[in-house]
Amino acid sequence: MDIFGDLLMGLTVAITPINMVYLMFGACVGMIVGVIPGFGPSAGLAILLPVTFGMDPIGAIMMLAAIYYGAMYGGTITSILLNTPGESATVASTFDGFPLAKQGRAGPALVMQAAASFVGGTVGVILITILAPMFAQVSRSFGPPEYFLLAAMGMLTLIVMIGEHWKLGVISALIGLALGTVGVDLETGQGRYTFGSAELIGGIYFIPIAIGLFGLGELFFAFYNNLHKTGTGSIVQYDKEERFWPTAHDWISTRMTMVRGSLLGFVVGVIPGAGATIASLMAYSIERSVSKTPENFGKGEMAGLVAPETANNAASSGAMIPLLTLGIPGSASTAVLLAAFLMWGLRPGPLFMQQNPELAWGLIASMYLGNMALLAISIFAIPLFVQIIKVPYRILGPIIVVICALGTFSVHASFVELYLMFAAGIIGFFMRLYGFSPAALVLALVLGPLGEEALRQTLTISRGSFMIFLERAPSLWIIGITIVLLLILPLIGRFGSRASEAEKAGS
Amino acid sequence: MRIVFMLVLLAGALFYSYIAFIDLSFMTRTGRLGPGFFPRIIGVATVVVTLWVLVDEVRKRNLAEENVQTWRDVIVLMALALGYAVLLRLFGGFVATAIFLAVTLSIVNRGHLYKNMLIAILIPTGVYLLFDRFLNANMPPALFPLPI
Repeated sequence: MDIFGDLLMGLTVAITPINMVYLMFGACVGMIVGVIPGFGPSAGLAILLPVTFGMDPIGAIMMLAAIYYGAMYGGTITSILLNTPGESATVASTFDGFPLAKQGRAGPALVMQAAASFVGGTVGVILITILAPMFAQVSRSFGPPEYFLLAAMGMLTLIVMIGEHWKLGVISALIGLALGTVGVDLETGQGRYTFGSAELIGGIYFIPIAIGLFGLGELFFAFYNNLHKTGTGSIVQYDKEERFWPTAHDWISTRMTMVRGSLLGFVVGVIPGAGATIASLMAYSIERSVSKTPENFGKGEMAGLVAPETANNAASSGAMIPLLTLGIPGSASTAVLLAAFLMWGLRPGPLFMQQNPELAWGLIASMYLGNMALLAISIFAIPLFVQIIKVPYRILGPIIVVICALGTFSVHASFVELYLMFAAGIIGFFMRLYGFSPAALVLALVLGPLGEEALRQTLTISRGSFMIFLERAPSLWIIGITIVLLLILPLIGRFGSRASEAEKAGS
Repeated sequence: MRIVFMLVLLAGALFYSYIAFIDLSFMTRTGRLGPGFFPRIIGVATVVVTLWVLVDEVRKRNLAEENVQTWRDVIVLMALALGYAVLLRLFGGFVATAIFLAVTLSIVNRGHLYKNMLIAILIPTGVYLLFDRFLNANMPPALFPLPI
């Protein structure tokens, strides 16, 4: 297992002129998607997935991955300039980012967040390089029982992290599971919930649902919040200032913050179900508790911006590990990446790195390059991205409807999927309005069928006995880790939300 | 509105469970998990949790006034989007998109007639070039043959 040799091989695959173009394009698109309020990587990936059809696999996947972590860079720009998080993972960046902008330090804030994101992302990719082969080795001993338990763990950790509205999260997940049962039952060949429709026999493909929930649903919600009327020109806090670059004090005081944030973010990102949002909130509250000047947090403390930024980029790297080594997505965005892999006939899992080394290592190598590209783009193109925020939402909105619709149709040329997408859009709006969790729905839609098949295989192997879960060592480990997570995560989640409430009350 | 949404969910859950119990068997004849195993569990769980949330909602009945004004724009956009779906079926990708954008922008972006019409022509053209020529992807066909 020669890691450096593999990485070098990956770099030769990744560094071709056309792939570099795809990477840069993906990074720019990702940042733009992140900048538009409400749209996160899940929506961007889902909408742009159909566009990658005509491309070759490695280029397409490099582009999609670039969009994924690019959105993390872009989402913070609106957090700092408009006090509006670009996506949920950048909520924590508003706590100290916007106060910094109000103090006239928007420039240093934006540069520090780019640097922090770069550090988080790069550390994350280094950890993937080292750990992915190890994970792949461990997961080769996994069988159906372990897959069922992992799918269950992913769902449970996601629901537990929702916090006080957990019942609504449970309902969202159950709806997703129910949608996942539509189709043909694999063991008996019987149709379930197909109502005689030839289109539904293949089941409900989750891309139209993801596009509808995250793309259209967010759009409707933004219109409900009158985002299209306010326009944004007047509240942007970004004028020509004397200092664009951070001071030496900024860099020195946050160096340990970056280290803490990246490690924490990566570990949280690896857990299926927990993701960048939780990582960023946890990093913020931990940074505050170890700081010598906690009273400055919320008033424009640089460490309060750097910590969540490092964490959310490291977490998005971490989330690639369960995807690549187990084939289990940990979040809605990685679920879309999984769909991309499957579309290309690749099966992420324990054998993925062995059977497709050029693809796996090419992807990992591209992530190094992508982070560097994004650092450069972030710093030098910031004024350009600020212009994008000024495009009125009322023009952007209908265009997004068009892109969602035509994109959905181009996947399978199916009108049924188109209608499903619009239906999901309306449902997604109501879900956002009433506190449900679209991410839980999409994750359940993907993990449900996986879990059901795994359970049936398990019971076939064990001839109907559920004791198999207690007889296999890997299963016991997973059960143990799940119990530990279910106990710790809510406590830390509550710690994080109390920190965010204290912020809002204090400032 | 919140309670109406919950009731719709409850109705869906009851329908789902009904089919699970009537049409799908819990175990197969050979003793393995049948097609109804998961659907029944999911259906019953959804009904239970939805009822629980409904009861909670009714109990802490918040009599706050629903602001009708904020709903108007969303409903209009949703109606237009559904109209777009119908248009796509009838007229195909290019024409339907042009009509949808023209109508929507004139409602939402009132007053900028010139700009709206420009966008309504440019976007479908751009998308057509991107999807049909460059990527060789599918654009929705119309019900009757059209030049585009």
